[in-house]
Amino acid sequence: MLIPCPHCGTRPVEEFTFLGDAAPTRPTTNDPSSMEAWYEYVYLRNNPRGPIEEYAHHSGGCRSWLVVSRNTETHEVFGAVTARDFSKAKEAKA
Amino acid sequence: MTERTFNRVSPLQDVALQGRFGADKGAVGVSFTVRHPMSIVTVIARAGQGAATAAALKGHDAQWAGSDQWFVLAENRGEGALYRELKAKLGGLASVSDQSHGRVIIRLVGPRARAVLAKGTPVDLHPDAFPVGKSALTQMAHVGVHLTRVGADSYDVSVFRGFSESFWEWITEQAEEFGYQVI
Repeated sequence: MLIPCPHCGTRPVEEFTFLGDAAPTRPTTNDPSSMEAWYEYVYLRNNPRGPIEEYAHHSGGCRSWLVVSRNTETHEVFGAVTARDFSKAKEAKA
Repeated sequence: MTERTFNRVSPLQDVALQGRFGADKGAVGVSFTVRHPMSIVTVIARAGQGAATAAALKGHDAQWAGSDQWFVLAENRGEGALYRELKAKLGGLASVSDQSHGRVIIRLVGPRARAVLAKGTPVDLHPDAFPVGKSALTQMAHVGVHLTRVGADSYDVSVFRGFSESFWEWITEQAEEFGYQVI
């Protein structure tokens, strides 16, 4: 897989370390009533067949955290943005 | 009190021996030099200060080393001198740290320098994609490297000091087919 790093250009997947699904949103409270949300955030992950957005660290390159969107079925890579831009876009949507 | 001074020893001092090696017919394809001693300072801009930091680094040999990050290089500066200068200059704009002892810079010059480097990295080194002055962070032989094109046929490769010996063995092996010399 070739990943278009926004800082470095197109690089092979070997230069990246994947952390996992970027979809879960961290709860903003420690209130006991939010325990269910915390449980979901920490432990529950989907295992989609198809498009997914994942955190990736460009450990063998610019050392930036990115979010790569790709297809788990076809290995097609749709694009990559910095994790900062990803969470800004997520906040704007919320 | 007298200021304590000490001689910096390159980790490649006993490894990068001068001479001609590899293919021995015709002109050498690539020449290696260990740039030593160097002042190497990392500059990382604070949030939102990237452009201001880049402007403040004008006039320095500042090489791109990640988003809003640079390696600033200098030759013939005293121990810590470049660090102190940048620290004073960039106060509030960026974090500055001295890496002079932590990295080794190897310079490759010659008509086959690009061919040697291309064996190790997926980075497109064609002049259209990688012009003089451009830097890339990548891996060669599993070692993280900072690669800069410093001239039409010359490149600097900066690696962590602890990896320099094994990196040296690897890169000279890649150059054997072209014939190389160590200066």
